[in-house]
Amino acid sequence: MSATAALWLLVLLPAIAGALLCLLPRAERVAGVVAVGVAAVSLVLAVVVAVAQPTAAVPFIAGAGFDLRVDGLSAILLPTVAAVTLLVLIFAAGDIREGRPRFYGLMLIFAAAALLTAVAGNLVTLLFAWEIMGATSYALIGFWWRDGHRLASGTTAFITTRAGDLGLYAAAGAALGGGAGLGLAALPDATAGWRDVVAAGILVAALGKAAQLPFSFWLSRAMDGPSPVSALLHSAAMVAMGGYLLLRAAPLLESTGWADTAAAWIGAATALLLGAVAVAQRDVKQLLAASTAAQLGFVVLAAGLSAQGAGVAHLVAHASTKAALFIAAGAWLTALGTRRLSSLAGAARRWRVLGVSASIAALALAGIPPLSLWATKDAVLTAALEESLWLYIVGLAASALSAVYAGKLIVAIWRRPDAQTATHYDEDERGTRHVGALESAPVAVLAAGAAVLGMLALPPLSGAVAQAIGQEPAAPGVWELVASGAIALVLVLAATRWRPPEPRWAADWLGLELAADRLLVRPTLRLADRLARVDDAGIDAAADGAATASLAIARRAASLDDAGIDAAADGAAAASLAIARGAASFDDRGVDRSVDGFARRIWRAGRDSARAQNGQLHHYYAQAVALLSVAVVLLLVIER
Amino acid sequence: MGMDAWAMLPEIVLIAGALVVLLSGSFLPRSRQGVAYGIATATALLSAAVAPMTFGAAPEAVFAGNYLVDTTTQVARIAVTGATALVLLAGRGSIAGSPRESETTVLVLLGAAGTLVVAGAGDLLVLAVGFLLASVPLYGLIGLAGTARAAEASLKTYLLGALFGIVLLLGVTLLTGLSGTSVYSELPVALADAPGGAVTVGAAAVLSGLMFKAGAVPGHFWVPDSAQGANGLVATFLTTVPKLGAFLAAFRIVEALPDPAPAAVFVGVLALLTMTLGNLAAYTQDDPRRLLGWSTVGQAGFLLVPVAVATTSTLALPALLFYVLAYAVTNAAAFSVTLALPGFRSLADYRGLARRHPALAAALVVALLGLVGTPPTAIFVGKLTVAAAAWQGGAVWLAVAVMANSVISLYYYLRWIIPLYRPADPAHVEPTAPLRVGAARTAVVAAALSLLLGVAAGVVFSVL
Repeated sequence: MSATAALWLLVLLPAIAGALLCLLPRAERVAGVVAVGVAAVSLVLAVVVAVAQPTAAVPFIAGAGFDLRVDGLSAILLPTVAAVTLLVLIFAAGDIREGRPRFYGLMLIFAAAALLTAVAGNLVTLLFAWEIMGATSYALIGFWWRDGHRLASGTTAFITTRAGDLGLYAAAGAALGGGAGLGLAALPDATAGWRDVVAAGILVAALGKAAQLPFSFWLSRAMDGPSPVSALLHSAAMVAMGGYLLLRAAPLLESTGWADTAAAWIGAATALLLGAVAVAQRDVKQLLAASTAAQLGFVVLAAGLSAQGAGVAHLVAHASTKAALFIAAGAWLTALGTRRLSSLAGAARRWRVLGVSASIAALALAGIPPLSLWATKDAVLTAALEESLWLYIVGLAASALSAVYAGKLIVAIWRRPDAQTATHYDEDERGTRHVGALESAPVAVLAAGAAVLGMLALPPLSGAVAQAIGQEPAAPGVWELVASGAIALVLVLAATRWRPPEPRWAADWLGLELAADRLLVRPTLRLADRLARVDDAGIDAAADGAATASLAIARRAASLDDAGIDAAADGAAAASLAIARGAASFDDRGVDRSVDGFARRIWRAGRDSARAQNGQLHHYYAQAVALLSVAVVLLLVIER
Repeated sequence: MGMDAWAMLPEIVLIAGALVVLLSGSFLPRSRQGVAYGIATATALLSAAVAPMTFGAAPEAVFAGNYLVDTTTQVARIAVTGATALVLLAGRGSIAGSPRESETTVLVLLGAAGTLVVAGAGDLLVLAVGFLLASVPLYGLIGLAGTARAAEASLKTYLLGALFGIVLLLGVTLLTGLSGTSVYSELPVALADAPGGAVTVGAAAVLSGLMFKAGAVPGHFWVPDSAQGANGLVATFLTTVPKLGAFLAAFRIVEALPDPAPAAVFVGVLALLTMTLGNLAAYTQDDPRRLLGWSTVGQAGFLLVPVAVATTSTLALPALLFYVLAYAVTNAAAFSVTLALPGFRSLADYRGLARRHPALAAALVVALLGLVGTPPTAIFVGKLTVAAAAWQGGAVWLAVAVMANSVISLYYYLRWIIPLYRPADPAHVEPTAPLRVGAARTAVVAAALSLLLGVAAGVVFSVL
């Protein structure tokens, strides 16, 4: 089998298998086996493809083909995505008990979209994969659709990330305008103004998916999905793809001169603030979610610094670490029926394999040497120090916070249970009090990954990684490694003695969702409501006011035709005043007499014809004629 | 002459078929009207089938340049006759046994023929005739339902159609008077020395008249009322088919002007107003047909975008042609679902549908996600190329408007999708009308077609 065929198969096999599973709701028994088998084949294919690094393309739409290419960056990411998918699906075999075909089908389609994202060679292919990833994530988060709030959470995630996705459409348009074509590698060659739009669009889209500020809140709501979904979406796939896109676009960001700085600071700020949010959480999945956004902040920081080697190492190591922790949290939720940290006391003692594996992952998250995130994070921070001291200090503070929240988690699961512990069992769902091998084994494998993947950021492997993605080899400085390792150790030990503070602003995710609701959602709905009412119910005052005012504009513009721009501007100003007045009320006072007289006639005609049962047809006529006259007059003015 | 008639074969088939249905319908007893209906459906399918046969076999302009048989017309033929066939396949249940069955199908076929004349016209006077031929059957069709609401909708549509017909004729008169010719291909030269202001007014008037057919601002008022008030088959037909011709005709008009810039601005502004108004007004609707009616207004806005960049972007024509095909099949799919469930007149009725009729619910989801513009459905590719065309043509604001509006539209389509997957509400009284199997099958087929068209977009673009 040629490498190109393997590349197609890598994307198509999970997509087709997933679609088939979705269509066969009765395949309850075999769904899991089929899905795990497909995921295993995908992993093999991913490794083959990563080694051979083929490209493939077919025509898709006018101007751009469907373009797949594997380079050093995607070669590192593909096996990670495939391996985490496989392990999560194995875990799901023990965790999902109904609707399996639909669940596995959606998971496979989602994984196919994530793999396609990682190999997309141009913006059209990327958009295609990106949209499918968004849509399936919506279906997966809202998988238990019988609970209204879970569905609402899926909607929040979808709409938030989709609002960010608009950036990608803008970027595609600007790339066409910029003349460099839609290929991702060619984007830095676009002409200057267009290039800025492309960079801004990609930045917004990637920040939305990676749950960076100010989009972070959707990740909190996304925790309402099933545990395997959280484990895949928020470790190796969806969220990580936002970070991956920025790493891929790093040359573009750098070429604009501002986008790289913006990305670096947004990443650093997210790492710091969402780190604080994670420290304040009392719910294990919420803690992990906030920590995901914070850790992705380091990846975004690396992208802004063009330190792609360090960034991708952090991305891969974090994927393994976070998948382990999310699966562990899911297993405890199934067994104990609670997500409350205080009720997890003794969980690690009760199920040793799971507890020890999860603790290794948590220690890696804390940045304890010699585990993975310690080395990868410092590779990023070393690059930050070369750029600016302040950036380094913010990053270092953020890594200190990660030690605090990881310490908090470790303490929570190893603490001896007391009388209070069992009172909150079964508050989220009915616990089974059982953790099987299907749950513990994937966590153990992933924890091993979390322990050793740091080597990607240390010599000699860091040199190989840098070579693979075409960069100068760079390794973290020795002193940075020692300093951050020491800070992490001290803070984790401190967390075992003292309880970290839980400020309210951090506990409710910086109030981001409330802000989005107040500033965006409600005004839009209000505007829609008003427009619908104006048009549908035909509120007399508004429609008549608009018609009158437009006629006034027409008349004025016509009579002032000769007097040039000044007069036209005058007329426009006076006319807008007339609109305001007319729409506000039909008072006699203060309104031009002729306008007023006309308004009265129309209003009376409106009342009469409303009585005559034929609805608001006169409004239709008035609006249509007014709009056409205004448009024609404006066109004539423009032409002159 | 023989060659010319051969080139118009699909139109001739439609009109001849309409006459056969009219005669056979008049002589068949009430219980056997199904035969006439079958002939009508076969006519639409036959017309769709013969359309490709005339491809390349005839000159591009026939009857002294009055009628154009180019790629645009070919696409119009496939979209119009194909969509008409889908409508007839889906709609049988909603008029079976009514005393006006064969009259309805005759008017549907004639309306489709008129739409083709509008799309293929190469002459302003032919355009005016086509406008009337496409409009007059609509007034009758809407009123045939016989209810008070339908009568009101019919009268409103008629009066608006009269107004816009006069505006169109005014524009035709102005342009013909200024240039001394009415053939599109001669207009650029003949109008070159005419006063710019008068040409602008004339072009704006012709385009405004077409906005009535297109269901776009300012001629959109009849769409929601008719979609809600008319018989199901008719609602599907008149929100899907007649507007297809209007967009293509508007494209030809903009192309034929000596200085297209003012007309392009005019159409661009109307596109922006149309998509924004349609999408926002759909937000609060609870009747699925009325919601779809407003949604078709929003879609009309998207379809006007390539018209606005007709002369400044090479992508504009392929984008418009593809979107026309995508829109026809997706909108037919969505309406077919409402035809299959005649009793469901509020979004709440759709709760739990996925459990009872999974295939139908899936078709609806595909159609609605298609209207949003989610890959891999056809309208996704359509929207993408439309936005790209706007960008390429220098109308960045239109491209931004397309993207912003497609996000806005997501909300109200989700309001319909979400209930499908909720458990049925025990307190809610279910409508008792049974499922219409024919319409349900058509919905599934049309939804599958919209997916297929999206996946095979590359192949389709290679012939556009």
